[in-house]
Amino acid sequence: MKKCALLVFSMVVLAVAAGCQKSETTSRDADLAGVNVAVGEKGLFAKLFVLNEGNFQKNNSTLDFFRFSDGNYVSDAFGSMNPAVVQGIGDTGNDLALNEGKLWLVMNGSGYVHVLDAFDETLIASIAVPDPRYIAFDKYYAYVSSYAGAIYGGDEVKGKVYRISLSTYKVDGEVEVGCQPEGVAVSGNKLYVANSGGYNYIHENTVSVIDLASFKVSSSVTTASNLHYMASDGQGAVYVSSYGESTWSQDADGNWIQSMSEPMGLYKISGASSSQVKDVHVSCMTMCSDGYIYAIGNAEELTGGYSNMLYKVSVKDGSVSSKAISGTDAAKVGNPYGICVAPGTGDIYIADADYTGPGKVWCFTKDFKEKWSAVAGMLPAHMVLY
Amino acid sequence: MRCLATVAFCLLGAVMAARQPGGAGILRYAQDDIVAQDDIVAQADTLRASVVSSTAGSITVPQRITFQQLGSVTGLSEAVRRFTGVQIRDYGGVGGLKTVNVRSLGSEHTGVFVDGIQIDNAQNMQVDLGRLNLEGLGSVSLFSGQKVAPLQSAKEYSSASSLYLESAEPVFSGSKADNFKTGIGAGSFFTVAPKLSWEHLFRNGASMRLSADAVSSNGRYRFHVKDFRQYPDGSLAGYDTTMIRKNCDLSSVRAEAMVFSPSSGYESWIIKAYFYGSGRGLPGPVYKKAGEYPLSLDRQTDRDAFIQGRYYRSLSDVWSVSGRAKISFNHLEYIDFPETLAGGNPAHYNYRNHSAYLSASAMARISPWLSVNIAQDIQYDYLDADLRGFVYPGRLSSWSCLSTRLGSGPVDLSATILYLDVNDRFLSGGDRAGARRNVLMPSLVARWKAAERFTVNGFAKRSYRMPTFNDLYYTTVGTKTLDPEDALQFDLGMDWVAVRSGASNLSFKADIYWNQLKNKIIAVPTSNQFRWSMYNIGKVAVLGSDVTVDYSFKAGRGEFGALARYTFQQARDKSDWNGQIPYIPLHSGSVNLFGDISGWRADVTLFATGERFTTSANLPAYRLAPWATLDAAVTKNLSLRGNDLSLKLCLNNLLNEQYEIVDNYPMPGFNFLLVSTLSF
Repeated sequence: MKKCALLVFSMVVLAVAAGCQKSETTSRDADLAGVNVAVGEKGLFAKLFVLNEGNFQKNNSTLDFFRFSDGNYVSDAFGSMNPAVVQGIGDTGNDLALNEGKLWLVMNGSGYVHVLDAFDETLIASIAVPDPRYIAFDKYYAYVSSYAGAIYGGDEVKGKVYRISLSTYKVDGEVEVGCQPEGVAVSGNKLYVANSGGYNYIHENTVSVIDLASFKVSSSVTTASNLHYMASDGQGAVYVSSYGESTWSQDADGNWIQSMSEPMGLYKISGASSSQVKDVHVSCMTMCSDGYIYAIGNAEELTGGYSNMLYKVSVKDGSVSSKAISGTDAAKVGNPYGICVAPGTGDIYIADADYTGPGKVWCFTKDFKEKWSAVAGMLPAHMVLY
Repeated sequence: MRCLATVAFCLLGAVMAARQPGGAGILRYAQDDIVAQDDIVAQADTLRASVVSSTAGSITVPQRITFQQLGSVTGLSEAVRRFTGVQIRDYGGVGGLKTVNVRSLGSEHTGVFVDGIQIDNAQNMQVDLGRLNLEGLGSVSLFSGQKVAPLQSAKEYSSASSLYLESAEPVFSGSKADNFKTGIGAGSFFTVAPKLSWEHLFRNGASMRLSADAVSSNGRYRFHVKDFRQYPDGSLAGYDTTMIRKNCDLSSVRAEAMVFSPSSGYESWIIKAYFYGSGRGLPGPVYKKAGEYPLSLDRQTDRDAFIQGRYYRSLSDVWSVSGRAKISFNHLEYIDFPETLAGGNPAHYNYRNHSAYLSASAMARISPWLSVNIAQDIQYDYLDADLRGFVYPGRLSSWSCLSTRLGSGPVDLSATILYLDVNDRFLSGGDRAGARRNVLMPSLVARWKAAERFTVNGFAKRSYRMPTFNDLYYTTVGTKTLDPEDALQFDLGMDWVAVRSGASNLSFKADIYWNQLKNKIIAVPTSNQFRWSMYNIGKVAVLGSDVTVDYSFKAGRGEFGALARYTFQQARDKSDWNGQIPYIPLHSGSVNLFGDISGWRADVTLFATGERFTTSANLPAYRLAPWATLDAAVTKNLSLRGNDLSLKLCLNNLLNEQYEIVDNYPMPGFNFLLVSTLSF
């Protein structure tokens, strides 16, 4: 009876939310107190959503948010707002995106893409997509990259992109791309897909270009090894990050060290050509609506003992500015796993993954002065501002 | 056998002009020790010379489950979890991995010994208790710290704690020279388990046992997935669904052949050949998955075989020697099916672990109060795996041990120093250099018989466990530069026999201990039971206490008893969060009640475990609920025209408790097993 009432109630809320977009009514999630971590402030945004990936096959992925109005951090908001959804959002959240007031959660382990109302985190639809990885949108569709059943050590299996209708929340098309596709981005009338080949003995090095009208692969652009994140500049070009290649070698004392034979990098793809953006090394990155790509990384990511840099790349003129993290408050971040930047204030949010326990979310000013930090869930990684 | 002994003697470099020892030597020590430990007297006549390596004679008093108590459980893990200080990590179901963790040091720090020779594998050092058989065992003993007995091998000093499984020697009544036993078990999960054994007494007094058993089970069971949360307004909302555990079938066969030496005053030996083959489904953890996909289709096949022998000989009143040898082979085949690609080809992995072990030890009983034990063991392990870029590691390990024992009057002291040297070499992996690790492990064990029925004992021990091949060389998650785990233990305990009479017995045993674990390597099977991810938690401090109260009395024709065990363990992660380390409860314990009247025996056992956390951050989101289960067993022995028929009914989890020992691996609810055995 309680469940039923809840369902009815959530549908009512949903209808209200859908009917008047951002209505003046207070979200039901205002009841979720959370933990106070900062002084409340008024600004462009109501919430910072954080998707914690969770541990692989542990079913402990969670959706948190930071509420700007009171400075409270709310853990597992999805679970609290949708208590009757069996096993919560599920396993291994791999991407989080906001589109037209809806929050899209890409659950890699569970094989679901969830659609939530960003206003109060209530579940609208769950769409089954095998091995989904990342998501991008155009006006009518969501596009989700997928490993499509490939397993490490198994046969070489090509990945796919699934197309989901924004009106029906149903998969209505698929197209085969390279092996283990990761980031996707829409620019112009094309969809760009970063192929990683992560399960292959030799990584992939291409971006598949899909013509949106025909939903067929129209070309493939050779870029760099093991591609991952993708961002659109909104003017027909995209940026893609590469994890590069590493090799093992022995030092004078006989110790084995891992070094980069091909650096982590950022590439711009424009038309059929790709060009490297000089001196940017990406371990995580975000596209901010202020026209800049923000990335954290360093030239020798895999060797350890590194010092991370924050890179800011203008998509208008390709100019790069970089700033060392060491010596600033941001050096407190143990393992940067995700980044988000607020347009306007320039505040930087960094998801800090702790591989043995819950991670943290940090907020810094654009000059790396600490504003607040909060204990998140397992492996916080993906953030969006609402 | 003679060849083995010869090699052992050469290794020792001892003077081998064989003297006829004339009945002194080993047996005498054994008898002395039995006197010191009177609870074993009853079995002394049947255990004969092999008693040297059983629990007798150890300064440290083990926790022990006897043959009678073994009769009331269905598996070894259920027997072992009755010990204090022990956590069984159980992934649930008939085929689920079951390992033992003693005093929060991790399962790799517990050596499991079958007739004095360790069962191990360099690949992951996990010993699955589910694969070891209770059949044919005389006793199961757990030594915290170490056993200190005459003529131990060097490896017996190397683990932080040791679980000893001792085979029961065949007993032939009257003029019988053959014993036959046949039986069948059947019960929940569509389990059928036939067994067969033949014991034979040779004319020269040697005896043998051939036994075989098989298990077939579909392993399926229902479980609940539920989560309810309380809201500030007092309302409660959530879900509770029933699911069925699938892909958890098991089929296994086991065959054993054992030969026991004739009874002799100066030598004894035992040889064992073992084969175990199994195929099982790996159900994996329970997590949310889109409807049309199964959670897991993965399969695992195992073939384990070993042959081992142990030899004791008393050379003179002063000298006695022993040798041990073992050759083993394990083949593990793991098949990873792509769940989301219908009809897709699986990934196959084959691991072949080869190992050869040789040990020689000698003891000199220099004076009635001083004896010296030296031992040298060597072992070679090699792992062959068809992984991409695998390095094919080989490992040569050498244990060298010097142990002295000082005993005078009520005080018994033993000091041991063990040197372990481990060299890894690679058959492939380019020009990668080998790795060498060596450690020194000292230990001190003391026992003071303060009064006739009151004993104080304690030990201090530093032991290391080497990183396994999986820790080091697993191609995707292995970390090449791991240090050995460093375990330091201090223990102070007491044994008090408050009442000992023909009619009733009451005894207390209590220990308090402090352990410190540094450089801890955590291997958690995140994706499934087979693939591990490695991380180094660094430092753990354990403050613990184990308490046992044992009471039994005779009334009329019956015997009744109660055994209560309680364990307190504060195991703090000193490197991160300062919380209780994963999966270790602060409080746990068990209570066992039994009654035995004219051939009927009933056992009721309650196990309870307090809350645990899945990470060292002890936040509510990572809490695992406490659980308690109630098990019962009834056994009846009948005489049918001179043959013995034994019937056993085990009812496990009577209250149908829904619980998890490992996060997302649900345990079965109520289940039963009926076993009937005919001996003739």
